[in-house]
Amino acid sequence: MTAPARTTVPAARGPMAEAWDIFRRSPSAMLGLLLLGLVILMTFAGPFLYQVDPFEIVWAPLTPPGEEATIPLGTDNLGRDILAGLIEGGSATLAVGFAAAAITMLIGVVIGAYAGFYGGIVDDMLMRVTEFFQVLPPLLFAMVVVTLFQPTLVNVALAIGIVSWPQTARLTRSEFRRIRTLEYVSAMRAIGAGDGNIIWRVILPNALPPLIVSATLTIGMAILFEAGLSFLGLSDPNVMSWGLMIGSGREYLLDAWWVVTLPGAMIFLTVLGVSLVGDGLNDAFNPRMRER
Amino acid sequence: MTPIPAFSRRFLLAGAVALTALGTAPSLSAQEAQTGGTLVVASVQKPRHLNAAVQSGIATGVPAAQIFATLLRYGEDFEPQPYLAESWEFSDDSKVLTLTLRSGATFHDGQPITAEDVVWSLGVVKENHPFSSMLEPVEAFEAPDPQTVVIRMKQPHPAILLVLSSALTPILPKHVFDDGQDIKSNPKNNLPVGSGPFKVTAFEPGQHIILERHDGFFLEGRPYLDRIVIRQYQDANSGVLALESGEAQLFPLLDSTRLIRRLEKSGAMTVTDQGYAGIGPVNWLAFNTKSPALSDVRVRQAVAHAIDRDFVTKALHSGLSKPAVEPVVQGSPFYTEEVERYDFDLDKAKALLAEAGFGEGGETLKLRIDYIPDNEEQQRAIAEYVKAALAKAGVEVTVRASPDFPTWAQRVASYDFDMTMDQVFNWGDPVIGVNRTYLCSNIREGIIWSNTQQYCNEDVDKLLNEAGVEPDLARRKELYAQAFKQITTDIPIHFINEVPYHTVWSQAVQNPPVSIWGAMGPMDEVWLKQ
Repeated sequence: MTAPARTTVPAARGPMAEAWDIFRRSPSAMLGLLLLGLVILMTFAGPFLYQVDPFEIVWAPLTPPGEEATIPLGTDNLGRDILAGLIEGGSATLAVGFAAAAITMLIGVVIGAYAGFYGGIVDDMLMRVTEFFQVLPPLLFAMVVVTLFQPTLVNVALAIGIVSWPQTARLTRSEFRRIRTLEYVSAMRAIGAGDGNIIWRVILPNALPPLIVSATLTIGMAILFEAGLSFLGLSDPNVMSWGLMIGSGREYLLDAWWVVTLPGAMIFLTVLGVSLVGDGLNDAFNPRMRER
Repeated sequence: MTPIPAFSRRFLLAGAVALTALGTAPSLSAQEAQTGGTLVVASVQKPRHLNAAVQSGIATGVPAAQIFATLLRYGEDFEPQPYLAESWEFSDDSKVLTLTLRSGATFHDGQPITAEDVVWSLGVVKENHPFSSMLEPVEAFEAPDPQTVVIRMKQPHPAILLVLSSALTPILPKHVFDDGQDIKSNPKNNLPVGSGPFKVTAFEPGQHIILERHDGFFLEGRPYLDRIVIRQYQDANSGVLALESGEAQLFPLLDSTRLIRRLEKSGAMTVTDQGYAGIGPVNWLAFNTKSPALSDVRVRQAVAHAIDRDFVTKALHSGLSKPAVEPVVQGSPFYTEEVERYDFDLDKAKALLAEAGFGEGGETLKLRIDYIPDNEEQQRAIAEYVKAALAKAGVEVTVRASPDFPTWAQRVASYDFDMTMDQVFNWGDPVIGVNRTYLCSNIREGIIWSNTQQYCNEDVDKLLNEAGVEPDLARRKELYAQAFKQITTDIPIHFINEVPYHTVWSQAVQNPPVSIWGAMGPMDEVWLKQ
């Protein structure tokens, strides 16, 4: 941040440690990390502390929060415990988020890497494919994919991954185009390194920082996507997720605010956490920030 | 053969009395009916066209009952009343029905309605209507003179009177429709020339159907209204909002208990569940009796015992839907108490499962449940409830969502299911809407709402077929009672609840449609208080 800070950090420290220094000094990034940590803690530790089956009918339907001591957050339209749903639903929602982000990164990075590295006709062809996916309205496209197959958790994650990779591909491509002209890449080529070696072991690690930021933001977007699909009734009815809770509770929004609002708030907090972390990472990896 | 059965003698009497009363519903209030005005009817149904002779269902039925007259009509009970036919008479062997038409009746284009039109229309229905059982026993329709129609049947067919009423057998103008085109795809079905109290002047799918008073209607002084506009809304919510804002005055076929409760509480509208005895809508859980686990009747009985109907009707539908326990609804003349009800009994469910080799000591029973999409309260919520309820009996249920109706229908009709939530209508007489679900001969792959359970019991077939041709009402009831008892014992279907259809109207509406056919009956008696 300030000049003295820069001088105290020895140049020998790795870029990741340096990034972490910048990251932890940002209050919003740390808040994001805290939110995300709490959500993850809740979904992993929660089931051990609060052992209620989220699909079990435990009380009268649409019991408001606080009315019954054993059901602190009330019940949904079927009389299922909302707190149990929030706890159990978190893992499904996070799983979809992370899986979709992983799929996005996998497709996006591979296509972007080849297009950016080889250029020419390979680039042209891959970019036309990317553009084809880019012009499709993502939510509509995801709906079609989920409708064509079954609305299972895996298919929802796949659908979200399939519609969101083009951005990552474009980002990867531009990074690769920049880095492939750098001297150390030429040096690798000079000593006889193969294309695969250069792409995956030389360029990719150097292109990673912006991709990590993009991956983080993709997680948040995927969670929102899942919620959107669920709101339209396209979520796996056999796995409790926040999206499912919203999807089946939306009809009761006017009569029972808590059925939709509580899982909605969880999604809001999680996505907020993820994007604050993403912003923090962006700042941390940005070389210009280090100059300050 | 029997002498003149009591049943048909009563009809004769009804016909004679009604000659003077002109078929007026008995509930007509003492107040003098006012004429004129426009009634806006809110609807969420999307009719494909308006010709009910070749299209079943309530979407076409509601407008078609206004556009087309039928030979008979019904009031609030299952007693036929004269309509286009002013009297009728069965032969001694109940195989010949002779109807006398009202004289001076005209179509909307001014041409007279003759027996020839009636005979032709009935022929069209027999040939084309999806409910092939309605007129199946008929051998010939005859028109000995312009005012007389004779229906000859190969066997007694007591359901015939109901078949000749609202929405099922509309009377079409032969001179308009008999034009050599396939009647099912005839473009005239969109704006048909009809015979009923209102003529259709506009049909904008997704927006509205405009029905104007037919001045030459054959009932003197009717209809009271100048115009009916059936306005289509995206969903029940917006329909109710339109009602509350005064944009619409009548909303039939509303089944969202949440909205019905809200309207009941506000008190500004009148809400009733009357007018659905004819449709007889039942919401049920169907079993694929050929799927490995469910082929065992004990497993089906166990599933039934694990489901608490009261939870559905009282908790999920806040007391607005009635429990269903048998093939027909409570309002049907054939409703009987003598059936297996399968009341909620978890211990019994577990015991039956154990007997069948599931549960403790055996393997876990795993089943899949389907449901008709886009119906939250009646279908999806109950499917999810079944999953939760069966979990308590140790059965693992997977809910399978279908993205749209055709997908669900295709799965069920090709027997790709274990259990499914379903909604099926009685259509007034078991011959029309009930037999199709249980007869061995109606196991027809690829056809939804046939016997997709693949249930076959020859005793049941015999009873249902015998009841269908039994002219004596008391004997008929008894035969159906026996059939329903056997069906519920074999349990191809577990009946859950009657669909809580309600009709809502604002204070200005008088004589709202509450006959057994509800809004699928003619609204010539409805009037608006100014």
